[in-house]
Amino acid sequence: MTGEITAELERDPVYVVRTPAFDGPIELLLSLAQRAEVDLKAISLASLTDDYLRAIEQQHPPLDRLAAFLVIGARLVQLKAAGLMPDATAGEEEDLQAWEDAIKGRLDEYKRFKELAESLMRRHASGRFTFAGLLEPDVIPQARVQVSLDALASAFRQVLDRLPPPGQVTVEMEHVSLGEKLEELRGMLARQAQLNFSAIFRHARTRLEAVVTFLALLELIRIGEARVVQASAFAEIMVHGQVRTETE
Amino acid sequence: MSSTIDGATQVRDTTGLAAALEAVLFTLNRAVTVLELQDILQSPLPDIEAAAATLTGTLTGRGLFLQRHQDQLQLVTDPAQADVVRRVLRPEYPSRLSPAAYETLAIIAYRQPLTRARIEEIRGVNCEAVLESLEEKGLIEETGRLDAPGTPRLFGTTMKFLQILGLSSLNELPPLPQSGSTSS
Repeated sequence: MTGEITAELERDPVYVVRTPAFDGPIELLLSLAQRAEVDLKAISLASLTDDYLRAIEQQHPPLDRLAAFLVIGARLVQLKAAGLMPDATAGEEEDLQAWEDAIKGRLDEYKRFKELAESLMRRHASGRFTFAGLLEPDVIPQARVQVSLDALASAFRQVLDRLPPPGQVTVEMEHVSLGEKLEELRGMLARQAQLNFSAIFRHARTRLEAVVTFLALLELIRIGEARVVQASAFAEIMVHGQVRTETE
Repeated sequence: MSSTIDGATQVRDTTGLAAALEAVLFTLNRAVTVLELQDILQSPLPDIEAAAATLTGTLTGRGLFLQRHQDQLQLVTDPAQADVVRRVLRPEYPSRLSPAAYETLAIIAYRQPLTRARIEEIRGVNCEAVLESLEEKGLIEETGRLDAPGTPRLFGTTMKFLQILGLSSLNELPPLPQSGSTSS
């Protein structure tokens, strides 16, 4: 067992055993017992368990820690029982042998993987990474715009037609921010995985607001947080939200 | 005479397809499955495989690198150029992992696909937290469900796993040490 792993165990052991024969994390006890480096006959598993029961009453450890203790405890009992039965019958001896072989095989397998883990760690630490390129921001993958630009433009025109015409020019400054519309669209797409194109403009009261909303939609498509799809020629255009992935 | 022409056409086709493959992988700039490539390049699987092999050969000694993870292909920078690339972009790659994480990754890399129970059997400890963290870092993913009671999740490595190790494919992993030959 390397110092590193021991240190890791000591930071967060399932349970720290305090007996005259062994003092340390229970994981370490199991690991040593499996390699016959500690004599389980010298340790009372019953009083160890009693101590643990008292500890749970005081500390209320989470369920996964209790489960981990049970698994480790069961293995210790199994190991100890195997050690206490020297006079087992021939058949049982064979079973025991098979069981010992299985344990040895498992330990051996674990050791091989530990060695590989170290070689992976060295390889990772060497920093010989490979990188994907940066996506040119002007390029939008086909998959995000599965609708003809004409269809998208005419759908937007319909939205504008429903809104009051510009009429006379009002000088009063209308305040519609692209940032706010972006957040609004993100919120809508987070609540609903797909939306009708027209639903995006539900709250738009003026043409300016509709235009800014449309710009916000195009921006979400550009940065990969939305895609627009039209299943067939005259079907409703659907807007899908999507999680931005690094690889796209 | 005609056989010479056919032969020449064949050669040009594989080279041409390799060039088309390179162009598509460059523009898509992500992992692309061979299934998608058959559709994009309008070519059957064996031709795609041949083109990928040709492209790997063409790229030897160049700054780019063809990476293959299971049925996905991706054009990335050569691991030998990692330092210079890091001077121009600052990709968020997971830095050093815990010893438990490398152990779990090694088990998954060599034994995939496999369940959490199988990983825990080998490591002898609960692996829930470490699996969760590896999945969050994008180094492993669910590749399916085991057809057994409870249909447990099966785990496998990802393209990103190859990318942090600079491997061209899983075949490039060091060989699994022989049983009993270890010392440490």
